[in-house]
Amino acid sequence: MAQHVLYRLLLAVPVLFGVLLLGFLLLQLVPGDPATVIAGPMAPPAVIEEIRRELGLDKPVIVQFFLYLVRVLQGDLGHSLISNTSVIEELAAAVGPTVELMVACLVWSVPLGIAMGTVAAVRQGGLLDRVIMAFSVAGVSMPIFFIGLLLMQYFGFVWQLLPFIGRGGPLWSIDGLRHIVLPAVSLGLIFIGPVARMTRTAVLEVLRADHVRTARAKGLREKTVVLKHALRNALIPVVTLVGLQAGYLLGGAVVTESIYSWPGVGRLAVGAILSSDFPLAQGAIMVLALAFIIINLIVDVLYAVLDPRVQRS
Amino acid sequence: MNATIEDVPQRRSAFRRLFRDGAALLALAVLAVIVAAALLAPWLAPHDPFATTRQPLLPPVWNEAGQWAFPFGTDGQGRDILSRLLYGSRLTLLMGLLSVAIGGGIGMVVGMLSAFYRRIDPFIMRVVDVLLSFPAILLGLAVAAIFGTGVTAIIIALAIATIPDVARVTRSAAVVVMGQDFMEAGRAIGLSDATLIRRYLALNCISSVFVFLTLRFGQVILIGAALSFLGLGAKPPSAELGMMAAQGRDFLFFAPHVATIPSLTIFLIVLCANMVGDALRDVLDPRLRR
Repeated sequence: MAQHVLYRLLLAVPVLFGVLLLGFLLLQLVPGDPATVIAGPMAPPAVIEEIRRELGLDKPVIVQFFLYLVRVLQGDLGHSLISNTSVIEELAAAVGPTVELMVACLVWSVPLGIAMGTVAAVRQGGLLDRVIMAFSVAGVSMPIFFIGLLLMQYFGFVWQLLPFIGRGGPLWSIDGLRHIVLPAVSLGLIFIGPVARMTRTAVLEVLRADHVRTARAKGLREKTVVLKHALRNALIPVVTLVGLQAGYLLGGAVVTESIYSWPGVGRLAVGAILSSDFPLAQGAIMVLALAFIIINLIVDVLYAVLDPRVQRS
Repeated sequence: MNATIEDVPQRRSAFRRLFRDGAALLALAVLAVIVAAALLAPWLAPHDPFATTRQPLLPPVWNEAGQWAFPFGTDGQGRDILSRLLYGSRLTLLMGLLSVAIGGGIGMVVGMLSAFYRRIDPFIMRVVDVLLSFPAILLGLAVAAIFGTGVTAIIIALAIATIPDVARVTRSAAVVVMGQDFMEAGRAIGLSDATLIRRYLALNCISSVFVFLTLRFGQVILIGAALSFLGLGAKPPSAELGMMAAQGRDFLFFAPHVATIPSLTIFLIVLCANMVGDALRDVLDPRLRR
């Protein structure tokens, strides 16, 4: 297993390099030279000149990239053009809320999706199966902002049940919990569909396997067969497939954060791009890419832990 | 050659099976109506989609205060929502179609080259793996940050995001084709690589790629609309469904129709595209099923 994890870690290296290159290019390709961009439109020429020297912009591109790498690895991502605070500080403040939102979404949507997928598989072809699959297709086809706006309008405004702007504080406080409900429900609603669908396919496959027939032949109750013999084995592919949907979840989170003014990395990235705050945009996009890589790594490791067969590959 | 000839009767029955699937057929019909309406927008639209009137936020006709002159009501600047919807669907569909076509075309070439020239295969596949590590929404953010926001930026991002997946699908289909006798035969009679790829490989891979792209189309529209909603896509005053929904957000609590109607349209387009794609996959290419 250690070997598998190591291989995955090695595979992450070129990806990580790609992310850093993307961040570098982001500042390079922006119209105007990076020094002017970093200094801001109002900076006097002397300041721009100093930044240029500081960043090594008078040196060849390869050297510039190397200097950039060194800066990033030291945690120096520059300063926001708008607020002038350090990018790393802004990002550090935004990572927590994004993780909160994702966890709050996964905690209810993945178990529910797995339960729905299992029920659909057991009742294959029946009414319940069709209803669940219809719900799943609808969920995959729904723009996340539509769900967000609908929930906001009814639960937030018309019925005045829950707050819908910003974060209310830490999750262990009542206010914090109340504020996260609508964003977490919106994001979860688009995630149930894919999870239910994958679980259904996986469970159907396992239900056809020999060991399930043996279990039935032994006279075990259907409930035991499904839960102990089928679902357990089906969960292994489901874990991987949930991991494959990480990009989908990330995209949903960016939109959800923007709708509910949730102070996370996604909202930070969109705001920075819209206000041409390049250093901040670069940092936020790199953090999002990093999050995606980490999620995939976790899923890979989890997969190896769940499925002993992976050890050999 | 044999393989293509044998394919014909099988494919015909596949289409017959598709037409027996009532839900998919309905979805196809709805999609056709929407596409036709979008294409005919200049003739169908009752008003100029950019002309403002003195009646902002007029409710749709099913509301008591609605007027038949503006069936879906007007937006915050008094523009006819139905007309904007027709033009907006045009831009949204075009955005989806272009990104899928560009990304699909490049991805297919890359996948075929990878299967045809085994020596460059490992290299191409590693690059594809790295590209796959960037979800579409991130590419969208990055491209918008570098080249500025706009429809072109979104199409570029969505096309790039489509390339690695299509390359993979094409490659796995092409590897099977490469093992067939007719490829060997074609080479034996002295056909050039280019001819082999164009005439034999491409024709035999196209159905897998087509099915995949149909399924992809809905997702691409959804991501594109989300990026537009965030303000990274189409710019006012042009009409695009995601952007229209974003503009309606300001009036959500007293004129919800401004945001709801374009959002529902996106939902309908994507839902139909997904249903047609699912049905196509089941009859044409069950291997893609996950």
